[in-house]
Amino acid sequence: MSPLPSMGSRSRRFDAPDKALGRERFAADEYPENLLWAGALRAGAPHGLVRGVDTARAEAMPGVVAVLTAGDVPGANRQGFIYWDMPVLCGDKVRHAGDPVALVVAETREILAEALLAIEPDIEPLPVVDGLDAALAPDAPRVHDLETGNVLKQATVRKGDARAALDRCDVVIEETFFTPQQAHCFLETENGTARMDAAGIIHMTVSTQSPFRDRYEVGQALGIPQERLHVIAPFLGGGFGGKDGVTVQCLLALAAMHAGGRPVKMWWSREESLLAGYKRHAARMRFRLGAGADGALRALVCDLDYDTGAYAHLGVEIMALGLEHASGPYRVETLEANGRCVYTNNPVAGAFRGFGVAQVSFAFEGMMDRLADRLGMDPLELRLQNAIRRGDRNGVGVAMTASTGMAECLAGLREHPLWRTRGAWVREAPPLTRRGVGVAAVLNGMGYGRGLADMAVAKVRLTVDGRFRIYNGVSDMGQGNSPTFVRMACHVLNQDESGMELVQPDTDRSHPSGSAAAGRTTYTYGKALIRACEAMRDKLLHRAAMALLVDDVADLELAPGAVRHPATGRALPLALLGSKLHPDDRCCVSEAMMPVTRDVPEGGEAFRLGFPHLIFPYAAHLARVEVDELTGRVAVADYVAFTDGGRVLDPQTYEQQVQGAVAQGLGYALWEDCAAEGGRLLATDLSTYVIPGAGDLPDIESHAVETVEESGPFGMKGIGEVGMNGPLPAVASALLRMGLPMTRAPFTPERILAALGGDDS
Amino acid sequence: MNVLFPATADAVLEALRAHPDARLMAGGTDLLVRRRAGAVAPGVLVCLERVADLNGVEVLGDAIRIGAATTLTAILENGAIRERLPLLRDAAGAFASPPVRNMATLGGNLCTASPAADTLPPLCVLGAEAEILSSSGTRRMPVADFVTGPGRTALEPGELLGSVTVPVPGGGTIQHFEKVGRRKAMAIAVVSLAALLRVEGGVIAEARLAWGSVGPTVVRCPEAEALLAGRAPTLETFRAAGESVRRAVRPIDDVRASAGYRRRVAANLLLRLAEKAGPAALG
Repeated sequence: MSPLPSMGSRSRRFDAPDKALGRERFAADEYPENLLWAGALRAGAPHGLVRGVDTARAEAMPGVVAVLTAGDVPGANRQGFIYWDMPVLCGDKVRHAGDPVALVVAETREILAEALLAIEPDIEPLPVVDGLDAALAPDAPRVHDLETGNVLKQATVRKGDARAALDRCDVVIEETFFTPQQAHCFLETENGTARMDAAGIIHMTVSTQSPFRDRYEVGQALGIPQERLHVIAPFLGGGFGGKDGVTVQCLLALAAMHAGGRPVKMWWSREESLLAGYKRHAARMRFRLGAGADGALRALVCDLDYDTGAYAHLGVEIMALGLEHASGPYRVETLEANGRCVYTNNPVAGAFRGFGVAQVSFAFEGMMDRLADRLGMDPLELRLQNAIRRGDRNGVGVAMTASTGMAECLAGLREHPLWRTRGAWVREAPPLTRRGVGVAAVLNGMGYGRGLADMAVAKVRLTVDGRFRIYNGVSDMGQGNSPTFVRMACHVLNQDESGMELVQPDTDRSHPSGSAAAGRTTYTYGKALIRACEAMRDKLLHRAAMALLVDDVADLELAPGAVRHPATGRALPLALLGSKLHPDDRCCVSEAMMPVTRDVPEGGEAFRLGFPHLIFPYAAHLARVEVDELTGRVAVADYVAFTDGGRVLDPQTYEQQVQGAVAQGLGYALWEDCAAEGGRLLATDLSTYVIPGAGDLPDIESHAVETVEESGPFGMKGIGEVGMNGPLPAVASALLRMGLPMTRAPFTPERILAALGGDDS
Repeated sequence: MNVLFPATADAVLEALRAHPDARLMAGGTDLLVRRRAGAVAPGVLVCLERVADLNGVEVLGDAIRIGAATTLTAILENGAIRERLPLLRDAAGAFASPPVRNMATLGGNLCTASPAADTLPPLCVLGAEAEILSSSGTRRMPVADFVTGPGRTALEPGELLGSVTVPVPGGGTIQHFEKVGRRKAMAIAVVSLAALLRVEGGVIAEARLAWGSVGPTVVRCPEAEALLAGRAPTLETFRAAGESVRRAVRPIDDVRASAGYRRRVAANLLLRLAEKAGPAALG
């Protein structure tokens, strides 16, 4: 018998063999027999009134099964989460170039493509609201009919009187920062299959982060009772937030309702994904930071504008997290954070790893670097001096009662050789090259926050042949929550992995456990799973006591494949136990919730849901950066991340999360930009939307600072997001040290060359 | 779509005669992308992958002959090219990515005639010659004349690019290639520079320079070449030639970079030569 993998040890991921061997089936792998293809016609125009959609030619084409427009949508024809503002098919107005105006169901992909070309939409163009300035202009055209113009939501969060405090500060720094829209670029683009059965139930297999909420959203949009929607969410080929909320689901369900019971498949091309998929919000952030001559942070006043594009999606909640995290992982005496979430005719912005925080991380860390410069202080020491510690109140006044390892992360970095030798490394720069070493300290609230119960329901079953089957309730988009669940269950049930089975979310088989988001998946479901497994252990020991003629269950233990009585060496195989128990008796279901704070910051009542947070993972990042003076090219030579994610349950998955987040964060810092001109994307595919490749990324060293999060399963907290927030400010910090104060991301060679100044070198 | 697989160059020419609208396809790394986008829809495709006489690298005394259907990987891995034409080797190394290089061919890169073609600037400064086959015979012309504009070549209907012959520069010549793309692999050049520099007695005896992606096709700058001749290869020398380069290039604005950036970088890239030629000048 191989030794059991213990928590915190390095071992193979449970999901690795099937993925490596190509056996794992993603949603995109589903090709049910007799399937039809569905596709949407996109508006093309970023803003306009829909005069009509002529579908006659398409409908007449052989092999076309259905051509649907807004009039064919049975329900409210509005998708959304909190703000129901996004039509399934646009009938009156289009608000961005990717808005769908017609849906075609056809026998083949080729016929589908031809039919889409044959549809003639008649769209009367309206003036395009191409960004924040255009949207906020006094006479701006309105994207939606709101009394507040294009401002979807405006809010202010306060701690003390920051403006008055600013006037009394020894030093005041002021700067405005800009971040671009970013695309998720998951390998598996948005897709799914759907079929309506004879009973009128629609069965969908979709690449989705939120299978249970999908039922609600699709049901509302199409007027279908939730019980008639069955959603299966296999492993995703990446999500990063871009599949949190419906993508293909409403269109697919609508197509299935017109397919005569045949299965329908919809799979967006890369181009369609870039055009119609959700993006990270572009932001403009004006910061004023006041400090004492000793470096103590006295006051922060900031104005944050988030461009949510054509629809709200989760824009208001994303802005709320921006306000909440505006002061970073620091003790700031007073704060005033003003936010606006603004409609434009840009692509729809939504959830993305680092949810509103990736943006403000650039700003608050940029301010810390400028403050260090002004005060002549070491940038790392200034951060350490102000780092929030357990028991402090954060920027919005919430007491940090959970694990708080910010200072430990920074202390780790301070002792790291790459930090200690930074002076020599910079001095040894080759000709025509500048070098700098940057740091960043970041955090990211975990879970949904106050007002929206962050709850999960775990289910574990003893199969008839004596194995344990875990019914995962939160999607695994590659982050590795579900193999970690297997590891947790193995630990509590004292089994090895050969005795485990894993079922991915299925609304008929697993229980609602929320979305795969907010760094919550392993934490919340894991807590519930431990309880379910403990209940299962108790149950089996009791059931075995009778068969083994033991009077006290304390004398029994679970062993791989059996219940054992160590005193006598007798054992009852789980297979035997499984075959004897009633099916209802072989199942345990338990639930858990993430704790929230009862502190409601001043202004916080503006957000009913998702504000504020109580538990935060932290990270300190270091980047050694080189700039080529001839081309402005920025190369990150080395990268180090210290992360406080509580106890590490699986070192390999932990490291993969950090490295993936840093890679995506460096993409955000140096390359990625969904720039649009007049509401039309300039980069329409992956040859023009540049994401980094292996050759562009440095070795990424990951260190865990293992605080213990007492509320978490085995002491952990989620690190899915925090790593995303460090690279942009760390690279900016290094550039500032080279005399390149960058305020606009990404740091393209063109922007760097302009910052280098001069005209000929 | 009708797809033909001739085995000899003659059979290719025969196929072109039989199907005047046919498109030639070597690696397909450009054509198939354009076909997917709906930009081309050939009825007949003549594939070159099985044509043995269009494939391979051959050393001919002071020149190296490269068959048009030779892949970039084969060029990258060829010993003679690595030793004697490092300029071409470096351009092949900067080309796309390993899987694309396994398919893409030198002839395909020339016939696609993109302003950003990676191999064009090196072949131009090296003075390479194109061999063009047709049923009526063979003709030759400098590669610099072969590409006439974006997507345009000197090929007449029924003609086929057979090979490229590259003269090997004499000893002591510095060969330099640099491609500025938006990332290291799978990037279209924003600017590229190919340079041949012969340094004698501490001064530049001859300079040959060609830029990619800063004009409709390769841009040469005789004025800069003349300015460099007779001077020591120092930063100041190369900086002084910059103004003539900025005047010579004709870049455009696109999603990858602005014209201004390309113009400035085209001149800046010369400065890299100081580092490369400096030791040669001292020695």
